[in-house]
Amino acid sequence: MAANKPIPPKPLSFPGGIHPAKDGKSLTEKKAVVAAPLFDRYVVQISQNVGAPPKLVVKVGDAVKKGDLLAEASGFVSVPLHAPTSGVISAVGDAPGPMGTLVPAVYLDADGRDEWTANRMAPLDWRTAEPAELKNRVRDAGIVGMGGAAFPTHVKLSPPPDKKIDTVILNGAECEPYLTADHRLMLEQPEKVLVGAAVMARALGVENIFIGVEKNKPDAIDKLNELAGKYGVKVVGLKVQYPQGSEKQLIYALTGRCVPEGGLPMDAGCVVQNVATAAAVCDAVESGVPLIERITTVTGTPLAAPGNFLVRIGTPVIRLVELAGGVTEEPRKLILGGPMMGFAQRSFEVPVAKNSSGVLLLAASEIVQYDSAGCMRCGMCLRGCPMHLSPGPLSMLIENEKFDLAAQNHVMDCLECGACAYACPAHRPLVQHMRRAKAEIRKRAKK
Amino acid sequence: MNTILIAALVCGVIALVSGLVIGVASKLFAVPSDPRVDLVIGLLPGANCGGCGKAGCADFAKSVVAGENPPNKCPVSSAEQISAIAHALGIEAGSSFKQVAVVLCGGDLNQARQHTLYNGVYDCVSAAMVAGGPKSCSYGCFGMGSCARSCPFGAIEIINNLAVVHPEVCVGCGTCVATCPRHLIKLVPAEAKVHIFCSSPLKGPEKKKVCSVPCLGCRKCVKAGAEGQFTVEGVKVSVNYDTGENGLPGEDVVAAAGCPTGCLMTVAKHLETEYAELAEAKKETENGRK
Amino acid sequence: METNYLELTIGAVLVYNFVLSRFLGICPFLGVSKRLDTALGMGGAVVFVMTIASCATALIYRYVTTSVKIFGYAADLGFLQITLFILVIAALVQIVEVILQKFSPPLYKALGIYLPLITTNCAVMGAATINAGIDRGVWPATLFGMFSGVGFALALLIFSGLRERLELSQIPRPFQGMAIALITAGILSMAFLGFSGIC
Repeated sequence: MAANKPIPPKPLSFPGGIHPAKDGKSLTEKKAVVAAPLFDRYVVQISQNVGAPPKLVVKVGDAVKKGDLLAEASGFVSVPLHAPTSGVISAVGDAPGPMGTLVPAVYLDADGRDEWTANRMAPLDWRTAEPAELKNRVRDAGIVGMGGAAFPTHVKLSPPPDKKIDTVILNGAECEPYLTADHRLMLEQPEKVLVGAAVMARALGVENIFIGVEKNKPDAIDKLNELAGKYGVKVVGLKVQYPQGSEKQLIYALTGRCVPEGGLPMDAGCVVQNVATAAAVCDAVESGVPLIERITTVTGTPLAAPGNFLVRIGTPVIRLVELAGGVTEEPRKLILGGPMMGFAQRSFEVPVAKNSSGVLLLAASEIVQYDSAGCMRCGMCLRGCPMHLSPGPLSMLIENEKFDLAAQNHVMDCLECGACAYACPAHRPLVQHMRRAKAEIRKRAKK
Repeated sequence: MNTILIAALVCGVIALVSGLVIGVASKLFAVPSDPRVDLVIGLLPGANCGGCGKAGCADFAKSVVAGENPPNKCPVSSAEQISAIAHALGIEAGSSFKQVAVVLCGGDLNQARQHTLYNGVYDCVSAAMVAGGPKSCSYGCFGMGSCARSCPFGAIEIINNLAVVHPEVCVGCGTCVATCPRHLIKLVPAEAKVHIFCSSPLKGPEKKKVCSVPCLGCRKCVKAGAEGQFTVEGVKVSVNYDTGENGLPGEDVVAAAGCPTGCLMTVAKHLETEYAELAEAKKETENGRK
Repeated sequence: METNYLELTIGAVLVYNFVLSRFLGICPFLGVSKRLDTALGMGGAVVFVMTIASCATALIYRYVTTSVKIFGYAADLGFLQITLFILVIAALVQIVEVILQKFSPPLYKALGIYLPLITTNCAVMGAATINAGIDRGVWPATLFGMFSGVGFALALLIFSGLRERLELSQIPRPFQGMAIALITAGILSMAFLGFSGIC
């Protein structure tokens, strides 16, 4: 019995990390999730998962129904893509992607009827279904990690046989400032989160389930605790500290285990999933709904009415800004995701993807343009780094293009969480340096 | 007198002994080395640019002597230098044609619109990872000089945030081609004087929004030139560098085509206009200061 | 003459360090100190050459220049000292080079031009003339040569470590390159002044 197993002492935190001065959650944390209305056009990016991009199965002019397959999985690390609503494929071509480049996408003109497809998946009873059946369902529903990484969930649920998984961890930390989508999800649909957790635990044959929630969300912790017993889930309040929601830090906080260097959570016997992913898994299993919509926080001081919205995948960000009452002050920066790890966008036309947990607008008054200076060896970045790296010296190595030395100094373990850059008093673009080195080292390794 | 004799004798004996020891040692510890390798190293440019695919000039010299590579594999050496190497080794030189790099983008700060303020790492590769950099055109040159810094010959100049290759300095080693995150740099035959300075595959009006010197895809140049001088892929027109029977387009084609945006031009003209614009921009800032 | 070996050792390595205190052998000190591994190789080569050169020159000094007797004629060859030293050291370095090329080609490659330069290296010559100047015995002279070489290698290693870090730093333009290296060398030399007075 899981309850009798001794639970190792939990640190409930991790060494390093920072406390962002402005968490901005008060803008939206009391705003209930509102379902976005149907828009006339959706831009669905074809590659929304880590791994092989799925293969397109529709062509221009095709009429599709909500939930119809747009693209099918093209390998093990790949998931299918579904139509967010019913309508006609008006174009297949380039659309602005989250990284500033143009990416292939399907343009879907909605017909406004929002009809479900005839080949909708049948509901499954997860208590009796086979684990393999559950995994297939998760894959067929196109579910990826919705916290930001967009790693296909079914791959995480299918560990190689030599890796013993004994713990499923749900990530409800939501340590990014401004974002409250997961908070609202846990508050409004705790049942879905818990069922999703139980489904994944069954798929993995694991009984130990944790949900880690930062203590700045006491209402969510209470709500989950009310129901958690029914599903054998343990809800744990965690210290408020960024990046508490990073896989490796969360595993350490909850189990005291360390993921080995270059390893995955499965090397520490854990599978970590976002709470939103769990809710999507619950939808896929209990009602056969593929991943076509998600809760996204649309926030920022320039917005008239920031809030949390249930939006279809493929909604252009400009529609969400309109939905949030438009802007009262000219925004200077648009970020997809949170302020720490999100990506600045060049266009309001960028669509919401499966992993877009937030849309953040910043006003000119909130942005300070710094000139970065030389490293003064103060060590603030070392104190902030949750991975015990030394970002300052690493950045100097990378500036001088000594990528081999950077690799020797474990740059590949960098989470890109941004704690070092936040802490740096010289305003050095440390994360950008790390990202460049990682890209360069990966490129060289491929050769 | 005696002192002189004795000094000479002592020096002589010591020198003789040392000489003998060195002689014996060099025989005893002789390393078989090919003198031809040193010869070839001497004839190579010695820039160690890696354009040949080897680790450096010494490595390349070894492979040439071993017969693995023909001497014309060195992209840097001129035809005379290559024939000198071939002559020294008594082998066939192999035909070689000089290539130079060209940056196929003409959008400097005056022409390409900037849509955002970028103050991250001043390096093209890094900038490419942040929302595609400050320029609105996502196929244009960043102008942050990653290619210029990587060039072992200093052939690339950044003028007004646009990289321009000086063809007379460029040796065609291809280092910059591998560096550019936008893949704008191409190795072309040195005889090619006319290029289309635009690499964006977007449709004309879209390009026009972000840049004043795009290739609009009007194909005037295609009509003006002989057959096979230009290739058309979708909207994008480019000079066909794989010389067909009609050869490369010359300056007459530029005049005949009358490119509406002026992105079809010669390298010399390109450099000239860039310098003129730079001077103008400088004057403006000076006036502003006054 | 009674020799205090401890004094000789510490004196040669730290107090009268060849590079940082006597300012001999600056050329390889600046030339080969860019990377730690080549500095290590160069240091090793200098230790080796200085040891055998000191031994050989002490022998020459003791048994040739001061007391040569040929066919009953004696002559003071003191004026020939430098010439003979150069001759012997050059021959020795040549032999070392030949042996290195055979047994350690990477080291031979790394030392490049600096190995022949040891021939005319003032540190090696300096050790020989200092030994001759105070008329040390052969054994103390050899020891002095060896520890002077160790001192040289030590300075080289410290300096190359510094330079590897210097390379990562943002240095004002006028100071980049050799300028900052020389300033660093000066400060390092000042640090070694702290040893003066020990012996």
